[in-house]
Amino acid sequence: MEERPCAVLLKFPGTNCDSETARALETVGFVTEVIPISALKPESLVGVSLVVLSGGFSYGDYVMAGRLAKLVTEQKIGETLKEFRDNGGYLLGICNGFQILTQLGLLPEGSLVENTSGRYQCQWVTLENRAPDSPFLSQLPESFEFPIAHAEGRLVTSEASIAAGYRESGAAALTYTEDVNGSFEQIAGLQDESGRVFGLMPHPERFLRRRDHYDPDWSGGNEDEEWGSGYYLFRSLFESVTSDEE
Amino acid sequence: MREIFEISDRYIEPGDANGLLYEPLDGGATYRATRRYEIEFEGDKKALETFIEKTLLDPISQEMHEGEDPALSDFTFVLEYGMKPGALDLEKEAILTYYKGIEEPGFELKELKIRQRVYLFGGKGDDSDRFIRDICNAAIHNWSVIQAG
Repeated sequence: MEERPCAVLLKFPGTNCDSETARALETVGFVTEVIPISALKPESLVGVSLVVLSGGFSYGDYVMAGRLAKLVTEQKIGETLKEFRDNGGYLLGICNGFQILTQLGLLPEGSLVENTSGRYQCQWVTLENRAPDSPFLSQLPESFEFPIAHAEGRLVTSEASIAAGYRESGAAALTYTEDVNGSFEQIAGLQDESGRVFGLMPHPERFLRRRDHYDPDWSGGNEDEEWGSGYYLFRSLFESVTSDEE
Repeated sequence: MREIFEISDRYIEPGDANGLLYEPLDGGATYRATRRYEIEFEGDKKALETFIEKTLLDPISQEMHEGEDPALSDFTFVLEYGMKPGALDLEKEAILTYYKGIEEPGFELKELKIRQRVYLFGGKGDDSDRFIRDICNAAIHNWSVIQAG
């Protein structure tokens, strides 16, 4: 019998994208389990290949986006996520999940603060794939679209030169093709040195099928193609996880 | 013992103050927002500071100011507001729940008050009534105004 890799989605009070993210993961072949943070234990990750922190407003974004989720996660499972990564596990953070991953120190230094517009922005953006070898991006083209929906998506570092270094080092795996929210170096997604931890502000799970593109003027892609760009992010990840396990 | 910490954002530029109002001001004005935590505690002050830095401060994007005096200068006035006693403050509850989960915090948190501060730059001191009217909700908030000295 074929064994499918298992993905766990952590759910905090205020997480609201877990169902659609689970659907995307199951579409490409993962078995998924949503675990409320109150039920999370270190042993919850035994036999798991992927941990996903999906989008939403964990703890109402109180103090700052992702901060309380980080504190409660550390209180519940300590260094377990770091050990999970060190043992070959994959971690994906989408939008609020990206904010939580940066707070947890699982990605290179960075914080996601209020957009320069001062507003919540909900729009389609064009992205540049700067890490075609990434386990998360290997099946995506050089340029593609995803939707964003955030108020605090501006990636900053303690010094601007650090963000510039991320372009050089490859940590800036995904960038906006224009200045969308004031992110340093127009960074939309970061990966860690291992390549197995990846966070991004755009929502791949909202563009699973081509028909999910809700911009009526959009004419990109092949009309006969069933899948949207989001599918290929999750498919890349599935291929990477299964090839590791073979 | 009582300690006050005010946290401001390093990277957020002053915003257009008209964005906070239903009707624009006659002249231009900008604002910055900060968050002020007033804490009554007993025990080790160093442990409290460690808790504050870990819980409430982002060292990459924020700065912390300690003490009663306003963190920012050259303002026309500061509107300070927060939840009335008895009104449910979900941010406070989330912080307290986290605090209660710490095994040995090293201090006892007796009281936590969270206040938002809006610093107005430009405009006139008597514009403060309009900001109170459009920002504060008398049903749940109380407020005070600090005029420039």
